[in-house]
Amino acid sequence: MFSREFFTTYVTLFLLLQGSSVFAQLPPEEMSIETMPTPGANWFISKTSNGGYIFDAVSGQMQGLLSLSRYTPAVTHLDSRKEFYAAESYLARGVHGERTDIVAIYDFENLSPVDEVIIPNHMARLAVRTHLALTNNGRHLAVLNMNPNHSISIVDVEDRVFVYEISTPGCAVTMPVGENDLLQVCGDGTLQLIQLDASGYETKRVRSKVFFDVIEDPIFDRVSRSKEGWFLITHAGNIFEVRTEGEEIIIEDGWGLHSETDWRPGARNEVIASHEDLGLVYVIMHEGAVDTHHVNGNEIWIYDATTKTRIHRMKLDSPAGSIMVTQEDEPKLIVAAQGVDVYNALTFAHERTIETPEAQNFEDF
Amino acid sequence: MNIEKVVDRAYYWVDEKAKRTSLLFARKLSRRHFLSRIGVMVAGATAFPLLPVSRSFAQNSVSEIGDPQSCDYWRYCAMSGTLCTCCGGTYTSCPPGSEASPITWVGTCRNPVDGLDYLMSYNDCCGKSVCSRCGCHNTEGDRPVYFNSNSNTVLWCFGTENTSYHCTVSIILGTAD
Repeated sequence: MFSREFFTTYVTLFLLLQGSSVFAQLPPEEMSIETMPTPGANWFISKTSNGGYIFDAVSGQMQGLLSLSRYTPAVTHLDSRKEFYAAESYLARGVHGERTDIVAIYDFENLSPVDEVIIPNHMARLAVRTHLALTNNGRHLAVLNMNPNHSISIVDVEDRVFVYEISTPGCAVTMPVGENDLLQVCGDGTLQLIQLDASGYETKRVRSKVFFDVIEDPIFDRVSRSKEGWFLITHAGNIFEVRTEGEEIIIEDGWGLHSETDWRPGARNEVIASHEDLGLVYVIMHEGAVDTHHVNGNEIWIYDATTKTRIHRMKLDSPAGSIMVTQEDEPKLIVAAQGVDVYNALTFAHERTIETPEAQNFEDF
Repeated sequence: MNIEKVVDRAYYWVDEKAKRTSLLFARKLSRRHFLSRIGVMVAGATAFPLLPVSRSFAQNSVSEIGDPQSCDYWRYCAMSGTLCTCCGGTYTSCPPGSEASPITWVGTCRNPVDGLDYLMSYNDCCGKSVCSRCGCHNTEGDRPVYFNSNSNTVLWCFGTENTSYHCTVSIILGTAD
């Protein structure tokens, strides 16, 4: 007669032996590390305070992470060199100790830092997309500084050297124009064009006429590219398209977003986005009073910049704090709300929600 | 940053303006012209109120109402950041071990008790981890970063040994009217 203890021991041994024979037939798995595939259409970077999350907007799958400093304003890229560029700021002991500001260069394949250039410890350290700008020829990276006076650090990303710091009192925002030039918005209601030579040194500085009043109706410090220049928008909702021709700054007539005076553009981060070839402008809107420009909006209004007419009002389930439009033929509208929402940018249909830490701004690549 | 330093900075600004104006007059005006005008200025001076800063500090205190740990408190109308009142400090003092930034942004807030508009200085306390309690983001009179004296988006830890942001205080500089 078997005792209960003997039976239990027998069964356990039997199962263990059976299990061993099963595992003996499987080769052990090996750990490996992925490398980045060739970027697909509608890939984008969701820049957060935790780094740059790379997503495929079509599948919604995360592809990898760029580890960035918490003070990084934005990240940009250059396809021809297969590199990402980010301005970063570090303190030696985390929250105190010696400060070091750098431009970090990351490769496409491993998303790893491959080089860095030390720059003056003056970067503004704000999550603003246009506090980082790569000139249109891909040679010079401009980093916006505040110390607290405004300036721009110029870095040659090909030779990996800091070129120099351009003093730009009263002006911020860096918008690449021409081959190697930068356009800025200034507190006196003008634009400023800074032209660089091949080495990255300033050769010419031009100021536009006054076209807005910073007290009455300021231009947002968030802007979006148009086909030939940039779209600027005021707190009240007037859009100006600006561009340059040589040394001339051209400011097209402003056009009002709407007749509903109680609706205003507003968002904590990037309030305006556009599709350059299609001439579509997307603006985060909310119903509110004057000086509510940082209230996240519960609608996105879409405008045809050619006809200067609104073509759609898109209602959102959660207020939006930042937007971006990918530039492909089948573009996606990327919206930071509760996670990141992906919409078809032409039909405005919601396609998916991607879980991610709070996105501050986006980079299409 | 304490009140004395704010006052010192205000006095320094006034001194600088006065010096520059005097030098400008000295260069541009003849002595006779200057004497003829100075009489008018002296006579007219009594019609002008004292500077707002001087008038403010002539008062001993400002009567206030509300919860200083709430973003709705009247001093915070143009505040952006973490309230130092929730982090071991007060609305005029930084928490222990942090550094007061001497460079600030300003706003104008109406005190509901006396109905007066006050010029507010928002000073960041720096050198520690962000407190992350009682977050507050009000934008009355806020302007973009290219107009940085009125921009609450900016990290104002300038002129401090350590530049990490901890929290923000709100100091009355004077009445705005």
